[in-house]
Amino acid sequence: MTHAVIGHSVKRTDLLDKVTGNAKYVADMPMAGLLHAKMKRSNVAHARIVRIDTSAALALPGVKAVLTHENVPRVLHAGSPHPRSASVTCDQYILDDKVRYWGEGVAAVAAISEEIAARAVEMIEVEYEPLPAAFTVEDAAAPGATLIHDREPGGNLVLPPVRIERGDVERGFAEADFILEGEYEGGRPTPAYMEPNVLTCRWDGNGNLTVWISTQTAFMVRGIMAEVLGLPLHKVRVLVDHMGGGFGAKQDLFQSEFLCALLARETHRPVRMEYTREETFTGGRTRHPAKIWLRQGFRNDGTITAREAKVVFNSGAYGSHGPGVTNVGTAAMVSLYRCENVRLEGRCVYTNSPIAGAFRGYGVVQTYYALDIQMDEAAERLGIDPAELKLKNAVREGDIAPSNHPLIGHGLEACIEKGMEVVDWKAARARTLQQQGVIRRGWGIGCEMHGSSAYPGIKEQGNAIVKMNEDGTVVLLTGAAGLGTGAHTALAQIVAEELAIPFDTVSVVHGDTDVVPWDIGAFASHTTYMVGRAAQMAATEIKTQLLARAAKQMEAEPSQLVIDNGVMSVVGRDGPTLTVREAVMPRKGLPAAQFVGTATYHPTKSYSFAAHFAEVEVDTETGFITVKQVVPVHDIGKVIHPVAAAGQIEGGIQQGIGHTLYEDYQIDMQTGRSLNANFVDYKMPLAMDMPEIRTVLLEAAPDPGGPFGAKGVGEDPIVAIGPAIANAVFDAIGVRFRHYPIKPEQVLQALAAKRAAEVAA
Amino acid sequence: MRKLIALEINGEPMEIAVEPHSTLLDALRDDAGLTGTKKGCDVGECGSCTILVNGTPMNSCLMLAPEAHGCSLTTIEGVQASPDTVHPVQEQFMRCGAAQCGFCTPGFVVAAKALLDANPQPTRDEIRFAIAGNICRCTGYTKIIEAIERAAADMAGLPMTEVTR
Repeated sequence: MTHAVIGHSVKRTDLLDKVTGNAKYVADMPMAGLLHAKMKRSNVAHARIVRIDTSAALALPGVKAVLTHENVPRVLHAGSPHPRSASVTCDQYILDDKVRYWGEGVAAVAAISEEIAARAVEMIEVEYEPLPAAFTVEDAAAPGATLIHDREPGGNLVLPPVRIERGDVERGFAEADFILEGEYEGGRPTPAYMEPNVLTCRWDGNGNLTVWISTQTAFMVRGIMAEVLGLPLHKVRVLVDHMGGGFGAKQDLFQSEFLCALLARETHRPVRMEYTREETFTGGRTRHPAKIWLRQGFRNDGTITAREAKVVFNSGAYGSHGPGVTNVGTAAMVSLYRCENVRLEGRCVYTNSPIAGAFRGYGVVQTYYALDIQMDEAAERLGIDPAELKLKNAVREGDIAPSNHPLIGHGLEACIEKGMEVVDWKAARARTLQQQGVIRRGWGIGCEMHGSSAYPGIKEQGNAIVKMNEDGTVVLLTGAAGLGTGAHTALAQIVAEELAIPFDTVSVVHGDTDVVPWDIGAFASHTTYMVGRAAQMAATEIKTQLLARAAKQMEAEPSQLVIDNGVMSVVGRDGPTLTVREAVMPRKGLPAAQFVGTATYHPTKSYSFAAHFAEVEVDTETGFITVKQVVPVHDIGKVIHPVAAAGQIEGGIQQGIGHTLYEDYQIDMQTGRSLNANFVDYKMPLAMDMPEIRTVLLEAAPDPGGPFGAKGVGEDPIVAIGPAIANAVFDAIGVRFRHYPIKPEQVLQALAAKRAAEVAA
Repeated sequence: MRKLIALEINGEPMEIAVEPHSTLLDALRDDAGLTGTKKGCDVGECGSCTILVNGTPMNSCLMLAPEAHGCSLTTIEGVQASPDTVHPVQEQFMRCGAAQCGFCTPGFVVAAKALLDANPQPTRDEIRFAIAGNICRCTGYTKIIEAIERAAADMAGLPMTEVTR
């Protein structure tokens, strides 16, 4: 079916302001009387605060207020406050008398300039009584380890172990012709969004708080700030216009929200707190470092007879998204490659490390890295093509997904088959078989699937209000944040398509919690899928109202009318037509029709699929790995905006190449001190490092739960690229890496070990 | 004690009072009211604050404001010839999806303009090199490179594109 608006790369509504510098981000908004706030951060990893002296800081001219744990409300709250969610871990205070990681906020200052605030922060004296610190999950989970939090279930566990079992695992292993077992490990990448965390708070004379903030979850910020500050919701207004990326991490609250609000209340002036780049590392969120033990039984025909895995995630000092990540990342391993007998266990452990939070791929990056690499190992053992083995075992229609729903369609098989065709896979792999010389090339395939929406962990809800103006133009009110994905454009396309009106007659109002309907936040690849469906449903309501009114004017039944590009006609009748504007406008002295549609959509879950085909080059003298080209093939059900969808995929590949080859935020394992909290020492792929990417979008398995069959795309690309690269490295040099990032010195060491083993043999 | 500096910003002669220790980036944003130039790191690592100083792309966070005395600056606000037109680089950034969150975009647009001013027909590698100092975390750079390539082709023909709103 062809569509007039969706499926076309219409001009995104946010881009003119962005390319001209007119777009206002939080730090760009001028405000009379603005004060600047800075946080003092701990320089120990685990300690009690014995004494904190702010007198010198308060005496500094220009300083207006100083907050410590002694003068802020002590309210236990969750840092990732999704209502009704598995992700809630009530384990933090605005400021505590204890610090749990190097970089935790211990005080905050508001002053007339950033320089004075920074100087005042230096003048605050904190005396610590050190506590034993644990930086690894092994140390933190060891019997007798110092407890980082005094809460259930104890033993430094963030939540009770997640256990998932299907079928009969013992029987499955007994039926296997061979068993593969391995340990896999993932590092600590950070989202590294370009706009550092920032917010401005202002109170009016009636005690109403307004917050301008860069967040993915405005209503969550409102809810938790109201709860902690003891305010009803109507007295907290959260505003988000443009924001400079989030990639999951900007779902949390970072201490700064409360501190900024309290400083503004105390000083009776607006206060802005803007993180330095360094603080986005030290006080930000990372991906959960993970260790995965994985064991699978195979028959000689490639069938998987059993799968057993134990996953341990390092949560860092607070729970944040630990429960969600552990549930989603662990459960993901029931799927992707078919297996009836599965036993999985996931743990999440507090350590005195930087806080791990939500980051694109949400636990699945880690577990599918292990699962997909082990499939490659199985193909090696069987002496068959890994793409063929993955195709044979790919999940398909009717298989039970991690969410316990039957899967719809054959998306993964379609992605693998299409990619094999596009890259001429068999020929490409044949070329890498016989290689000589210093530079070796290899091709690898990595697969993934990812759910749109956080169901069943969160029972989500998408809301939309659509109004028609008296000239036939339309306004969509949505709470969905615009992280930069083009979500608002996609939503407007869906509304225009449903009403069969031109795209440029739809506008979108967003980012004001006092105005737009409640929204859970922009995450879990669900905005187009869930909010898009709600917007479509709200547009349908208006369409019904519109057709009823137009039918009278056209002397026909509503069911006989069709709308095309804003013009209505009666099926099978020549002339006269009626425009949408004419149908709604005031006439004969009567006011215009009021058409308002509201909709709430409770999604379950749909799964998108991808297969990434990557070619790498390995320099066997330097150990340096270069990704030469990537062909990502994604099934996203229905493409709403091709350029924006491809943009998500290419950006995800960039971040995925980053964590697979370079990116790792490191701390000193003796002190917990941050070692590379900047863009020079934390290496990300830049323009010179990026390969050619030929993105292929498929509409192989549309999901009836999404608008016009559309599913999510945001998180998928970062999951598949990692194993594709690791598998390509194996193809190039015959060395199997089971961790990320894969560093040049490790490549050299592994090659030396391989040569030594060959000589010994 | 603030210091008065005289300079030209986007073709307009200006005098602005700056703190002697202020970076040019802060002076532009806070004292000249030009917030299109972004602060992504403040230490010369990300390129979000790229402006042209006498035609040369610079990280404005790495210059002290008084150093700009007597200079001619172009910021993102000066890339458009008029409010009703956009530069071909800007037009192609929109068409190609070269901007997502948009925070790094002003720096990229300015760097790309500088490249095309000096080298109207750059190769792909020359484009990559010209933006090697600018970090984007959303796009994977592919669409940025494509946009600059297409803008070069456009500039061989039409110099400016009308804004469609």
